Amino acid sequence: MSSIATPAAARAAELRRRGRFRPGDIVLHGLTLLASLAAVSLLVLIAWKITDQARPAIHDFGLRFLTTKTWDPGTRQVFGAAAFLFGTAVTSLGALLIAGPLSIAIALFLTELAPRWIRGPVGALVEMLAAVPSVVVGLWGILVMGPFVADHLEPFLHRTLGFIPLFRGDASIFGLLPAILVLTIMITPIVSSVSRELFIGVPRDLKEGALALGTTRWEMIRGLVFPYARSGIAAALILGLGRAVGEAIAVTQVIGGNVAIHWSLFQPGDTLASRIASQYQGASSAKQVSAIAYLAVILLCFSLVANIGAQAIVRRFAGRHPVAR
Amino acid sequence: MRKLTKLAVLVAAVGALGASASEASTGRTTGTLKGAGSSFVAPLVAQWQANYKSSEIQYNPIGSGGGIAAITSRTVDFGASDAPLSKDQFAACKGCVQIPWALSATAIPYNVPGLNGRLHLNAGVLADIYLGKVTNWNSPRVKALNRKLSLPDLKITPVYRSDNSGTSYNFTDYLAHASAEWKSKIGVGVNANWPAGIGAPKSNGVAAAVSQTKGAVGYVDVAYTLKNHLQFAAIQNKSGKWALPGLRGIKSAAALITKVPANGELSIVNPPKAAKYANAYPISTFTYVILPTKTSSAQELRRFVFWALTNGQQYGPRLLFVPIPKVVLSYSEKTLNKVKS
Amino acid sequence: MNEMKTPLRRRLVNLAMQAVAVAAAFAAVAVLAIMVVSVAKRGAGAINLDFFTKSPHPFSFVPVPTGLANAFVGTAVIVGIATLMALPIGVLTAIYLNEFARRRIAFLIALALDVLNGVPAIVVGIFVFALVVTGHGQSALAGSFALAILMIPLIARATQETLALVPGSTREASLALGVSRWRTTLSIVLQQTIGGIVTGTTLAVARVAGETAPLLFTSSLVGDQLRADPRQALASVPLKIFEYSESPDPADHRQAWAAALVLIAFIMLASTVARALAARSRRKLGLTR
Repeated sequence: MSSIATPAAARAAELRRRGRFRPGDIVLHGLTLLASLAAVSLLVLIAWKITDQARPAIHDFGLRFLTTKTWDPGTRQVFGAAAFLFGTAVTSLGALLIAGPLSIAIALFLTELAPRWIRGPVGALVEMLAAVPSVVVGLWGILVMGPFVADHLEPFLHRTLGFIPLFRGDASIFGLLPAILVLTIMITPIVSSVSRELFIGVPRDLKEGALALGTTRWEMIRGLVFPYARSGIAAALILGLGRAVGEAIAVTQVIGGNVAIHWSLFQPGDTLASRIASQYQGASSAKQVSAIAYLAVILLCFSLVANIGAQAIVRRFAGRHPVAR
Repeated sequence: MRKLTKLAVLVAAVGALGASASEASTGRTTGTLKGAGSSFVAPLVAQWQANYKSSEIQYNPIGSGGGIAAITSRTVDFGASDAPLSKDQFAACKGCVQIPWALSATAIPYNVPGLNGRLHLNAGVLADIYLGKVTNWNSPRVKALNRKLSLPDLKITPVYRSDNSGTSYNFTDYLAHASAEWKSKIGVGVNANWPAGIGAPKSNGVAAAVSQTKGAVGYVDVAYTLKNHLQFAAIQNKSGKWALPGLRGIKSAAALITKVPANGELSIVNPPKAAKYANAYPISTFTYVILPTKTSSAQELRRFVFWALTNGQQYGPRLLFVPIPKVVLSYSEKTLNKVKS
Repeated sequence: MNEMKTPLRRRLVNLAMQAVAVAAAFAAVAVLAIMVVSVAKRGAGAINLDFFTKSPHPFSFVPVPTGLANAFVGTAVIVGIATLMALPIGVLTAIYLNEFARRRIAFLIALALDVLNGVPAIVVGIFVFALVVTGHGQSALAGSFALAILMIPLIARATQETLALVPGSTREASLALGVSRWRTTLSIVLQQTIGGIVTGTTLAVARVAGETAPLLFTSSLVGDQLRADPRQALASVPLKIFEYSESPDPADHRQAWAAALVLIAFIMLASTVARALAARSRRKLGLTR
């Protein structure tokens, strides 16, 4: 058994035994290779096609695009991504700030702290949060959460934390804050389920040893589980960030579609993904289409970096602790 | 062996589907005309959909900008826009004509609770509201126009169209005519670098935003305003009178047109001071259908558009669309003949 | 055994942290409950036979009983075709990854699939628009293609994980008996992984059934009539919810809630079925988790 470790090695062994290919083997090999190439080439094709569409805008605006605040599809046709980069950063990082600790706490609950009989059901419920489509979260966001935020949450924040510029300004049902809340709901399941996997992977004997030495449960978690799972948690957070940055529909429903950079979270704004969703179909000049494609290029770059970064961390992490999976 | 056959069949099926997908035409079955664009004209088109029997009309109100984009890429059979095509857009459309086919107005709905009468506004104040210079309903400039009303201390939230909209074109056209600052800073267009307020997509979205936000003011075609029971403002025209977006006001504004230019572009905002335009509503507009001059569905399209221009106009008044004046009708019919297969 | 009592401070901190974790889990479940209850409460009222059999009515001043029949049919067609497109590619790619590829190639392909999984759905939407729709018009097939792109990594990963669980001894035994490699893979190995494939596919279907962004530019210009021809653009449930959510008309909102209720119910049902199947196939392969 140990001499034949991988299926590919099994093939090599078989070939050695037989000394020739069967035609069916070649067909299957070819077919599956083709499918894999198709799948991989999709990725390349997407990157190429979007960049191609953005080429005129990249040529016209260059890197200035990233710092230009104007988005004028009117007579002047000047476009810039700065307002959307700001909006994306504020909403995604804001969501991560809330969802990160929340998800880790949930994962801890499900793996360390909850009685065994509760873990299954609650775990399933948290995963169900991921099953709610973004358009439904957005629908609920506009019609239920929005009025609540405008009538209760924002005035409350204004009263208590109004000295911080983030919480100044008039309450409104559309804005950066509703977008942050909506994104928090959407990324919590991902970050918590990845964290859950990580915490389960911590070796039991290590944990029990620490407890036997007299640490409290929390001290064991803080001193053992967290350091052990540190890079995995980083990967989970990056995955969550990537998901938040790419979310177009739920965000565009609640954010208000404004092109502006300001401190107040109560004010409307816009993100990269949301602007693409709201303007691509109606773009009435070639320049606008390519400017929006440029936004998509930025979005794609970011999600590629986030994804590859998270994968790299996960793989390096898995390599260092082969026990953990 | 069975599993392999199943797999092979699946692969073949996918291949066939893929091939047909790439060859798919606009997916037209005979007797269907697909259109997209202006949400302004959508209520009237809905009436035409219900009453025109010779073809099935499909219409998607994605906004004038979307309509122009869709007909340019020939994703649809006809596009609808309240904003006339620019020279560049005509060029990009590669042989299109624009035909004015309906006439209505943009209302100014507002959401100010507790008012004991209709709000009165004029171009100057509207421009400054949208420029962010007038920010409260009880500011002196608003009060000056509404002496009989008790205006609350409430922040003004101007609502604008976030998508490329012909209604925006109409509204900015009006503001540019009346405010030199608007004309130089913002200009006229289907979209703009709006300095203040919140954006909402499509007429629907603006109507929703206005009705859900206290203190909001917006611009929406009058049919949507009525449908959603929104209060709309009386606007002062250049003759000094207060006009409403009703049939009389629109008809009076349309009297401005005595001749139609070659490209069909008509602007009837802010008619000048004259007895003829005493009752004119200053934010009225024509709306256009954009057709390719060379298309395989030319015959069906011509029949439909001709019907819309003539019989179809009778469904307009209920929705506050005024039947197009004769001089425009003859231009439209003549231009329609340019559409050939 | 351990007779030293832990100091009060440490025990309090421990208790506090446990309370935080409980509160967090409770908050998450509460939000889910609030959302689902909102949808159920507001949507249940609008669900009647008309909802499933009638199609939307164009703009009218007078309310007319309508439904979303065209959207349900459209989503069924679009998701069905997307599954037909994605399933072969996903399964074949997984077979290549697990049975044929050398380690480095396998690593690269797996990485590419994971990255493909993370491409935002809106970007996939404009990709398919730029590739297929411009010049040819929208169609349900274009929408299916966009959804298939999202499904392929999910199906491939689920299949690959299940393939990896089939013990090498099974393959060895088959090869030792003289069965050819392709027969081994398809008849014997694949048979054991059918459960995993079905699970992965069901989860992928649950995921894309609610996707709006990929359809926004590929199958959004639709009429109100009931259609099922995939060469034309077809209505879809998520897009209708999106459209109605931005409308000021409360009647539209009611339809949106009802559609959302049906959509959530379908997705949760599919996810539960997939999980049950996964548990069953794990038991069959002799694993416990």
